Amino acid sequence: MSGAINAGIKINKTLVALIVAGYAVVPFALGANNYIMSMIVAALVIGGVALSWALLGNLGGMVSFGHSAFFGVGAYVSALVTVKLGVPVLLALPLGGVGAVLASIVMMPVLRLRGPYFALAILAYAHIFRILATEWSSVTGGSGGVSGIPGFPTVFGFDFGTKMGAYLIALTLVLVFAFAYARIRASYYGIALRAMHDSEDATRVVGVNSTVLKAAMLMVSAFMAGVFGALNAHYINFLEPDYAFNALWVTLPVVAAIFGGYRTISGPVIGALVVYMADQLVFKALMPTGHQLVLGVLLVMMIVFSPSGLMPLLKKWTARHA
Amino acid sequence: MTELILQALYSGLLQGGSYALIALGLALVFGTMKVINLAHGELVLLAAYVAYAVESGLGLGSGFGPIFAIPIALVVVCIAAVSVYFVVSRIKIDREINSLILTYGIGVILTNLILLVWHADVRSTNSTWLQEAFVVGPFYSMRSELIFFGVSVALMGALWWWLARSWYGRAVRAVSSNRDAAELMGIDPGRTELVSFIVAGVLAAFAGVALFSYGVIQPAYGGALTVKAFIITVLAGVGSIPGVLLGAVLLGVAEALTVTLASSALQELAGMTLFLLVLFVMPNGLFGAARRRG
Repeated sequence: MSGAINAGIKINKTLVALIVAGYAVVPFALGANNYIMSMIVAALVIGGVALSWALLGNLGGMVSFGHSAFFGVGAYVSALVTVKLGVPVLLALPLGGVGAVLASIVMMPVLRLRGPYFALAILAYAHIFRILATEWSSVTGGSGGVSGIPGFPTVFGFDFGTKMGAYLIALTLVLVFAFAYARIRASYYGIALRAMHDSEDATRVVGVNSTVLKAAMLMVSAFMAGVFGALNAHYINFLEPDYAFNALWVTLPVVAAIFGGYRTISGPVIGALVVYMADQLVFKALMPTGHQLVLGVLLVMMIVFSPSGLMPLLKKWTARHA
Repeated sequence: MTELILQALYSGLLQGGSYALIALGLALVFGTMKVINLAHGELVLLAAYVAYAVESGLGLGSGFGPIFAIPIALVVVCIAAVSVYFVVSRIKIDREINSLILTYGIGVILTNLILLVWHADVRSTNSTWLQEAFVVGPFYSMRSELIFFGVSVALMGALWWWLARSWYGRAVRAVSSNRDAAELMGIDPGRTELVSFIVAGVLAAFAGVALFSYGVIQPAYGGALTVKAFIITVLAGVGSIPGVLLGAVLLGVAEALTVTLASSALQELAGMTLFLLVLFVMPNGLFGAARRRG
């Protein structure tokens, strides 16, 4: 078990290389290309949601098809507190996360349901939040949406309102959340959660309050997705219900997390970068409408042939051809 | 006002027929395979679009287009359901989680196929015969609503007979209650699961054609249908056809009342409120035995 505990905090060379590449190489190599940068930012946002989805699936053992609710609520809360109350943007980001946590607390009753019932209940919740955002128009602006959402400010002379600024914020948040995820997984709670994955009843017998732990994971996951929703809102400066609560905010992260391997920490993020880039550059060019079809096919293929992600599949192939 | 409410109750009752067919399909497959088919709503929607294609292809504006479409919808949806079965049955590890993600992916595929073939526009039937007013006492409905309510009730009767009396129906019940014991009794669980998928497909085909005959359809509707079917199974609890019909009618009535008394935009909230109420107050459903709680 000690190896697993250290794995969360271990700083290996690949990780350092990736961080250096993320902060130093990518900005200088691609920083001038606005199109590529905007795609990388979008991919990182999806990677952040994929990370939060994978945390819930891996640690909590819960499959959520309602993460668009957390994403949308985070986006709306952050946008509204800046537009209506004048809260500074950098403070509004965590507030968006808190909003998503509140949304997850409303969902707590569904923790009484097991497995497939939970997945469907949370899907149903996502519908509710979209309807609320549309119908509660005195607060949310209704289907017309919220426009003029302030962008990121200039700090120490660096304008975070640019594509580069959004990229650095998104990258930092992904890394911070990945680190937090690793810490949770390595903690004693993480061990209890993984034991629950094998047998929830047995874990209860040895004195773990499984419901509280699952609820905590739901809240952590909601917070992460909400912060990324908020980030995205300040990055594109406009929100409408059909966009903020779009099913795409579930589909893309799920495909990304499964593609990269949802039981790993780096997998969902890497998966998001690969899947989103491929979707935008290749699939969208080939078929302008319905290119999500390819995402569905990818998801089905992954589950059938390599449910634990692409990495084991690659290893199997290289072992066979070595 | 009373008239409006009575009318809403009547419309909700008629709507409940197709809802019950959708929910029964979801419940049958869950019974045998312990898999929630998240693409079930999309299968229903596929049938609805087949009905649209047949109607617009035949050019029978005033005729029975959607009715003629039923055999074709049956074939198409059953082929789709069988394909779903063969993909789902390939899952060996972590079946519960993986089957959910898998059928979610199949749902995405079907939604986008429908989008590619029939585009994003909202569609409804052109058949004046089906849309003609049909008045029963003080109640008003479209002819199609009444026809398909009758069809739904007949199908549920047939399903009840099939489950209670036929060999495969008994096999489905046996596999649902204890898979290993059923296998020891000489029942092939794999084939029984396939049969349950096909029956779910048949029910979905009729429900889909019904939805097109009296309502509007669009490619994104499938997910909402799956959610509705799920809400009904929660309302009904596990295991009885009359329970599902009652749950479906309850959902239909709640939706119709919300549309009449509040606004059509809040229609989906009605179902959710019912769902949450039942979840809090009677977690085993209105008519079900204790089984689902964690």
